[in-house]
Amino acid sequence: MRSPYPRSLFLILLLTQCFVSAGFVAALDLENHPGKAIYQKQCLECHGETGEGAEDVDADPLVGDRTLESLAGRIERTMPEDNEDDCVGPDAKAVAEYIFHAFYSPAAQAKLNAVTTDITRLTRPQYLNSLADIMGYFRDSHNPPEIDKPGLNATYYASGRFRVDKELAGKDTFKRVDKKVHFDFKSGIPKVPEDKTFIPEEFAMQWDGSIMIEETGVYEFVIRTRNGVFLNLNSYDTNNDNPKVIDGWVAPNNEIRDESAKMFLLGGRRYPLAMRYFKFKADKGYVELLWKKPGGILETIPEKVLTTNWSHPVFTSTAQFPADDRSYGYERGSSVSRQWLDAVTDGAYEAAEYVVENLKDLAKVKKDDPERGKKLREFGAQFPSVAFRRPLKPEEKSLFVDKAFEKHGETDEAIRRIVLLSLTSPRFLYPDTAFDSPTGPWARASTMALALWDSIPNRNLRKAAEQGKLSNAKQVEEKAWQMLHDGRARNKTREFFHHWLELDKAQQVSKDSELFPDFSPEVMADLRTSLELFLDEITWSEKSDYRELLLSDKMFLNERLGKIYGKPEIKGSFQKADLPGQARTGVITHPYLMTAFAYHNNTSPIHRGVFLTRNIAGMTLKPPPEAIEFKDNDFPPHLSMREKVTELTRAKACMACHSMINPLGFSLEHYDAIGRWRAKEEDKPINDDGILETDSGERIEIKGPREVAEFAANSESSHRAFVRQMFHHSVKQPALAYGPETMNQLQQHFQNTNFNIRYLLVKIATLATRPETPKS
Amino acid sequence: MNSSHDRRQFLKSLGISAGAAPFLTGLPGFNSLHAADGNGKKQRVIVMFSPNGTVPEEFWPEGDGKDFKLKRILKPLEPFRNRMTVIHGLSNKVGGDGDRHMRGMSCLLTGTELFPGNIQGGSDTPAGWASGISIDQELKNFFQKNEATRTRFGSLEFGVAVPHRADPWTRMSYAGPNKPVAPIDDPGLMIEKLYGKQRDKASLTGIVDSVSADLKKMSSKLGSEDQQLLTEHLNLIRELEQEISHQGENDTLAHPMPEIDPKIELVNDNTPRISRMQMDLLVNAMANDMTRVATLQFMRSVGQARMQWLGIEEGHHGLSHEPDNNGEAMEKLTKINEWFAGELAYLLKKLSDTPEPGADGSMLDNTLVVWLNELGKGNTHTLDNIPFVLFGGEKATGFQMGRRLNVEKNTPHNRLWLSVAHAMGHRIDTFGTELFCSDGPLKLS
Repeated sequence: MRSPYPRSLFLILLLTQCFVSAGFVAALDLENHPGKAIYQKQCLECHGETGEGAEDVDADPLVGDRTLESLAGRIERTMPEDNEDDCVGPDAKAVAEYIFHAFYSPAAQAKLNAVTTDITRLTRPQYLNSLADIMGYFRDSHNPPEIDKPGLNATYYASGRFRVDKELAGKDTFKRVDKKVHFDFKSGIPKVPEDKTFIPEEFAMQWDGSIMIEETGVYEFVIRTRNGVFLNLNSYDTNNDNPKVIDGWVAPNNEIRDESAKMFLLGGRRYPLAMRYFKFKADKGYVELLWKKPGGILETIPEKVLTTNWSHPVFTSTAQFPADDRSYGYERGSSVSRQWLDAVTDGAYEAAEYVVENLKDLAKVKKDDPERGKKLREFGAQFPSVAFRRPLKPEEKSLFVDKAFEKHGETDEAIRRIVLLSLTSPRFLYPDTAFDSPTGPWARASTMALALWDSIPNRNLRKAAEQGKLSNAKQVEEKAWQMLHDGRARNKTREFFHHWLELDKAQQVSKDSELFPDFSPEVMADLRTSLELFLDEITWSEKSDYRELLLSDKMFLNERLGKIYGKPEIKGSFQKADLPGQARTGVITHPYLMTAFAYHNNTSPIHRGVFLTRNIAGMTLKPPPEAIEFKDNDFPPHLSMREKVTELTRAKACMACHSMINPLGFSLEHYDAIGRWRAKEEDKPINDDGILETDSGERIEIKGPREVAEFAANSESSHRAFVRQMFHHSVKQPALAYGPETMNQLQQHFQNTNFNIRYLLVKIATLATRPETPKS
Repeated sequence: MNSSHDRRQFLKSLGISAGAAPFLTGLPGFNSLHAADGNGKKQRVIVMFSPNGTVPEEFWPEGDGKDFKLKRILKPLEPFRNRMTVIHGLSNKVGGDGDRHMRGMSCLLTGTELFPGNIQGGSDTPAGWASGISIDQELKNFFQKNEATRTRFGSLEFGVAVPHRADPWTRMSYAGPNKPVAPIDDPGLMIEKLYGKQRDKASLTGIVDSVSADLKKMSSKLGSEDQQLLTEHLNLIRELEQEISHQGENDTLAHPMPEIDPKIELVNDNTPRISRMQMDLLVNAMANDMTRVATLQFMRSVGQARMQWLGIEEGHHGLSHEPDNNGEAMEKLTKINEWFAGELAYLLKKLSDTPEPGADGSMLDNTLVVWLNELGKGNTHTLDNIPFVLFGGEKATGFQMGRRLNVEKNTPHNRLWLSVAHAMGHRIDTFGTELFCSDGPLKLS
């Protein structure tokens, strides 16, 4: 039957079933199992000897994630096709049990096709972080997760040339902390203590400290000023004669101008920052330091990312990598290409130059150091060991280190060669290949650093490996807890949330400006900040409760968002707010997601429903057999969105999945296309009731988003999906490769710890080191 | 370490330049891209700057017209005596804000005033950037507008020992008002700009050998399925190896990239080597018709280069302030300016030794080279009688060479830029401040 609505790829309707959850493996005699006989008689013809299926009868392989109960329920209701009464009751249960344990469940699959970890290369983030941390190792850099002393150190000078006159006995200079750089001096002077003598004609400032970079990407820095400025970022230099990120020393005509520069920076790290400003014989003074974060808007750099603490520069490679493979649902280094090889080669050359240029602080050796030769040899011997994440074997030292010094003497060239060979070696690029056993202390340290930081072990972790302090689960877990307190762990977790909530999809959102005049890129940027504050606060709190992500009725709002989302009394920057009467419930109703999963002029229950089904409820949806576009104009105008979607998906083939998708999507109909609460859809009443048909055939009545959130927060399939995605994101290997019980253990543990996310991260990193010998 | 050997092992780009081939002089152009235009005429301009004024007594040749005798500073340029015009009497008349070093520098190629600003020199009022385009950028725009004269870069700005600060003392080239163009003073960066990323063949070969051996060793320890990724990696490495061994075979450049160590440290004492590298790259870029306009800026106005390679410990600018009766300082300043002349002689020789691709004669026939300074004399900071010398480019400009030309005292230097523009076919009525152009271009032909 042809759908009355035209087709296109715009909106996808999904057909086929949703498979959910798996159970525990039990010792069963499958050969003599009563279910086997039933299977051979009633199922084998279509499904094959081991459930492999057959295309001609449209039978997909019998492999999946459902629980045993769910599988039995489904067989009872739907099998054999057209003779559904032939296999019911105990028969259905028996055959389900046989199928489940013989080949259906992941554990059964693992037995049939032994799942092992794959040899993978470093992913792009792992490569970039490893390079940064190899340099950081020699500088003993740290990545504290939070800002402790906000703002920047400021030194004020009454001279436009940063001069201090001794005779003035300190009257012409002082220091203080500025929360941000944003000053309009007009024709006057800065705020100065009473005993200082400043005049409007000339004055100058220097600011220094560090900037916290939360997300990896390209940042644009802008200095808006009428006067002379420069900015140094990620360098030890504060001298005007050295290279600068922004050189705006010359200020023609005293006019406001923007001086800008773009830089690629790594998330979860602090970069040192120094800025100078001077006003000289000009009427007006103005200076503001702004940035545009990846996907963000131009804004004054806020206090919360600035700290007066100084930090070491971070080596940030500019090598251009191809995207990593995401076909498994998570990024992993499972393929190599010429582009990739060129990128790692470029990265190695870039690093080699960087090392030679920075030998003074990396190898602690000066140009004319009498011990230069000795120090270069020490550094040269250490470098590959840091890159390979373990001590060198004698033959490696000869190959990577001694040969270089033999050939080039104790020179920069020898160091260059060592760096080049180390960073292009498979021992660096394929971490697993560098170790004789995956459970040795060095391999464990490497596994943990990759799982928690996407990087190499630091000094502290190497020390633990060296001292044999990673020999059991307890020790590993203890270390993992320490490692979690790190900017890189925050960054990696933030990347997980981006993936889980599909935040990338929201980058290019636009809305009908007539319907939503208040909506703007600034609002979207604020919403993103609001969501990230929310995720950060819950994740890094003591309870770190996953359920709070779904159930919290609080939202972070600033003044701009307050006006739009029903809290006009909020002034200034972000604060946590209640929104009574709006049924807000965690990420599920967060306006950022509501906006992303909507049309430019209307809601989209299907986009929202698919998101909830897959990402929140944790059910798998297979791709739809045909794609149909939703065209608003094809429907009579008196229909509500719910009625239109119901009409569009009423076909039986559609309803196989849409019986799940639609009610979830309809539950959010009280939130318009920018996530504002609405009592009515124009003049039409909103119905957010629905009946969810779960995988085991249970029918649950739900009303509104709150009940959806409660359903998800308490559903095992949601927990399992969250745990599995977190595992994949952390370890980048299939969980089953770590033993058939790994997923069950993690899920049980998640439940036992009241769904503590931080605990889950630690447990995953621990299990990834295979702390107990796996049962064979 | 033997530096020529050191240089030789460096760098051959992948698939771009010829293996170990030295810079090819004496070879005709390889393809029509590099041929001169329909009239057999190709026009190029190079402007070379050196700072802090000259020593007039040792600079200005004796005599007049074709009958002139070079003194010490111009002596290194004796081989080009018949191809030079020494112009006496040109002044930078642009007034306004900024000290004379600033105006000397930033009005030199722009011929127009600086904006008021915040940069205070040793005297006068503070100033900002120049308020107009410089002659090199003007000619670039003119050439780029026309298909026949358009090149990949349009212009290239070379620097030698220019400090990393942007102010009116360090910039002479301007793309427009408030738009200073920074010279590139790192030969490594310039090579990358001209020829793409460079890899030194020896180290690449080292990587290839080491990684192949490693991959084979590691693979042998793995199961066959796990080997697959490493095998693919190994295949890519073999592909790279092939490229390295064949590099240069399909060279498409008429003039292969010069052999230059891109890793040279940018320190004062390396200045002589950097200078030669930059000139090699400049001539090469022009030989390959990547650009027809170039500037070459030594240091900056008020630059304090310490020319220890000449046995001079003091900074250049400091010396330039010494009075005329300080014989020792005058001797040093003369030596410094002789050195600049010697560098220029290297550039001219390179141009005259390189045949014009696709035409008779040498590149120098079609390349006008202008040497200039921001001041007439260091210790008076005069902007009068600035030492302007023109070289070569006879075919390109029709200028008459081999003479000392005395123009009327206080002739605005804007008129020289008008002459150069007209000679290049760009018939503008004014350049820079209009007031200084009323007498039209200088007669140089």
